[in-house]
Amino acid sequence: MQLTLNEKRLLLELVKKETTTPEEMGTILDRPADSVVQYGGLLSQKGLAKVERTVTTTLILTGEGSLYLKEGLPERQLYNSFSASTSIADLNSHPHAKIGLGWMKRLGWVKIEAGKVVKTGDAATSAIEAGLKNPDTAPADVKKDLLKRGLVTEEESVRYTISITDEGRKLASSGITLTGETGTLTAGQISSGAWKDLSLRRYDITKRPRPLWPGKIHPYQRMIDEMRRILLDMGFTELHGSIIQGAFWNFDALFQPQDHPAREMQDTFHLAGEQPLPKGWEKVRNMHESGGETSSTGWGGNWDPEKAKATVLRTHTTSLSIQHLAAHPEPPVKAFCIGRVYRREAIDPTHLPEFEQLEGIVMDTHVNFRNLLGYLKEFYGRMGFESVRFRPGYFPYTEPSVEPEVFIDDLGWVELGGAGIFREEVTSPWGITCPVLAWGLGVSRVAMLRMGLTDLRELY
Amino acid sequence: MPVVSLPYKYLERLCGSDRKTIIDHLPMIGSDIERILEDQVDVEFFPSRVDLYSTEGVARAMRGFLGIETGEEIYQVNPSSITFSVDENLRDVRPYIGSAVIRDVNLDNEAIISLMGVQEALHWVVGRGRAKVAIGVHDLDKVTPPFRYYGAPVSRSFIPLDYDREMTLAEIMEEHPKGRDYSHIVKDKPVMPLIEDANGNVLSFPPIINGELTRVTESSKNLLLDVTGTDERAVMTALRVLCTTLITAGGRCESVEVNGVVMPDLSPSLRNIDVPSCNRLLGTGFSAEEIAGILEKMRYGAEKAGDTTVLVRIPCYRADIMHEWDVYEDVAIGAGFSNLDARLPATFATGHEHPVNALASAIRDICTGLGYLEVMPFTLSNEDVMYTRMQREPDPAALRVLHPISEEQTLVRTDILPLLLDLLRINKRRELPQRIFHTGDVVLSMQTFQKLALASTHTGADFSEAFATADALMRELGIFYTTAESTDPAFIPGRAADIMVDGMKTGTFGEIHPGVLNRFDIDQPVSGIEIDLHLLFPGQRETKS
Repeated sequence: MQLTLNEKRLLLELVKKETTTPEEMGTILDRPADSVVQYGGLLSQKGLAKVERTVTTTLILTGEGSLYLKEGLPERQLYNSFSASTSIADLNSHPHAKIGLGWMKRLGWVKIEAGKVVKTGDAATSAIEAGLKNPDTAPADVKKDLLKRGLVTEEESVRYTISITDEGRKLASSGITLTGETGTLTAGQISSGAWKDLSLRRYDITKRPRPLWPGKIHPYQRMIDEMRRILLDMGFTELHGSIIQGAFWNFDALFQPQDHPAREMQDTFHLAGEQPLPKGWEKVRNMHESGGETSSTGWGGNWDPEKAKATVLRTHTTSLSIQHLAAHPEPPVKAFCIGRVYRREAIDPTHLPEFEQLEGIVMDTHVNFRNLLGYLKEFYGRMGFESVRFRPGYFPYTEPSVEPEVFIDDLGWVELGGAGIFREEVTSPWGITCPVLAWGLGVSRVAMLRMGLTDLRELY
Repeated sequence: MPVVSLPYKYLERLCGSDRKTIIDHLPMIGSDIERILEDQVDVEFFPSRVDLYSTEGVARAMRGFLGIETGEEIYQVNPSSITFSVDENLRDVRPYIGSAVIRDVNLDNEAIISLMGVQEALHWVVGRGRAKVAIGVHDLDKVTPPFRYYGAPVSRSFIPLDYDREMTLAEIMEEHPKGRDYSHIVKDKPVMPLIEDANGNVLSFPPIINGELTRVTESSKNLLLDVTGTDERAVMTALRVLCTTLITAGGRCESVEVNGVVMPDLSPSLRNIDVPSCNRLLGTGFSAEEIAGILEKMRYGAEKAGDTTVLVRIPCYRADIMHEWDVYEDVAIGAGFSNLDARLPATFATGHEHPVNALASAIRDICTGLGYLEVMPFTLSNEDVMYTRMQREPDPAALRVLHPISEEQTLVRTDILPLLLDLLRINKRRELPQRIFHTGDVVLSMQTFQKLALASTHTGADFSEAFATADALMRELGIFYTTAESTDPAFIPGRAADIMVDGMKTGTFGEIHPGVLNRFDIDQPVSGIEIDLHLLFPGQRETKS
């Protein structure tokens, strides 16, 4: 049987005393009486001791009671305030007149004669006065009066007695060694080697610990980092750029016609101020109006440089891709970007005004449409989507365009992102002569599919 | 993108195939099947393919794709003696009009529904909500040529569609449902566009409403088309799509002379396709004959014009073919994407992390190591959270959204700490301690920068905790710093410090002011830190957008 050191010490003392109180034992063991009750409780759980709890009630003087014990009860004070007799009117000026007169009459100390209060004799000490001095030994009816007059209150006190059982005696006689138990090891105990002689307390392994909450990276960020890792592994250089863009880079440079509804305030967040047009903007204008130097017809009509100066929150990271290409027109270029993009959408389970988009571009002399499909298969495969298929798509700035679909258990084929080869109308103004493969996807959509979420708002 | 309803019976009849085969192949020509219903399938087509916005157009494409009928459709246009005059006073109002006559149509209910569908889709996609292009279809036998397109005063009156009394143009714009929807396009113009016949009967008040007189019904045999607008190319595109749709439906097209110009021109445009260029872009090895064969499936006219050249006749309804690559895409679609093997190229390149993101990763490691949990608040915020609750003056460098979608999102954040406090408010019933951080973009003036903020709340959150955390951060980032008394009103005076690096303030930390806590409805003390990363690492300063 496992006993703590304190339980052992108490048991050995109980052998000598048979029955004891926590207070007495506390003095002997040099422990607080409360602790002794606790040790006794532990012993009694093991059947080695018996702890009896008795509740006794004692009467304690109230503040008023203590005051009257010193100054006399109201009736005594009132009695002493006049000689043989007095008028009721005079008596009423005394602070205790109301309570005092009643009690004086009840005790037979005075009688009322023709509007006068007349003493009847010596007014011997009353039972209540005696009771106030020793409330605990007072007769029952006096106790009742004392309680009723609020001179005393009842107070419960709990007392414990601890006694040894036969089983306890038996265990004690079989011999108990009093080695101390150690909770937390000290540095001294470890370095001195003293730990070898210590008995290390065992802990309750069934009790759950206090919960700890570690610092963590957001699960969505972890997934973004996983995608970044995949693209870095595939040899892509990471782009990062401003979330504020000119309409020129966000729309015009991507051959988005100027009257396209997506450009309007209804769908895109516009900001005050204008962004200057970059060097070479005229080629973009020519491309829109007539197809520039390519085989394209362009959109026709007039292209308005003022409209291209509008400031917007980027609606896609493609605005960064085209700027990167314009700055690096020589092959090869392999770059990607994961960044926040903005659409003027009200918040609901499937729409947020801001969300992350991933985009990858590859520019090289001999890359082609089949290579684009190859990159898509490789990337989605590494993301854990084994089955990928392709169907025609449409994006204003790519040709040919493709919509990849991945197979997901329970959902079937799910469209995931878009891809294509940048139109010559997009690349030609910047002197880019190689094809540019490009693909993009909504990162939050992948996250929802992977985490099994149905409400986009749970992501953030 | 427009959704087109395709009724099975009509589709099967025009197509010559069964509904299952058609539905299976629809996605392969470029569409999203929205829903499959009992008697029709609803399909979303790309905005570039306006020729597919009708059952007739889809049937034409599917006949080719399924190999039932390949090559181009030849469209015969016979002359009619009908003429149109266009008045000079429309030059700055709505100057362009296209017209054609379609005879001997056999309009059953499904054909009328299909015609209305293509009209509606063209209005939205090509017409930009009728502003750029609007279409009218009329029963030709109810009116008398020649026709006149001119600018009329708003007092002119006629009986508009769905009404039984004459209304002035002004009344139509005020009262007619279509008038209320579309009057904004013309109401500020000096005159209103109007089409009348030789006897002064009104056919149409474009772009708003036709006259009741020329309403098209199942018994209409001969149709007059009018397409008006502000962009000639878009007007002609819509006219060609309409004419070819109605010819496929069984009509005969006759031309109309508009101010001396005979239209519609339904002849194909010609392009020479370079076979090696096409193969290079697609990564294929097709011969000229093979490419011609594939394009015939896609309803082009195509023939080999030499070993490396294919002469392509592009149908007049294919407004999306702007560039040779548009034809190459149709080669890929016609060949079938599933028949093109995915293959990685040998492009050599090494990957590089962007320094901004590399730094963010390092910071996340340090902060999580310090026991802080990463959160991802939005970058759009509002004045109340960003400044008022922080007891701070609004930052004049803050960028405000011109037309916010809600009161919650009126500006781009300039700080991150306020967003952390707002999160602590939301999570105030959760277990303490709570320690959170975020690093990300903020925008000041026109520039995007990165900031980092941390917040800790529990009964003992105080200045010392903020100091110890800021100290650990700066040590781990390898930056020497000193502190200076902070006057930031978001913190308790005497319990806040600015982080000084090379004599420049780069951040602030301390105990959040109880006034701020009250405004955020937070009950426990909070210690907070906000650091300007671009000031710590000036090499990473973003270039102006």
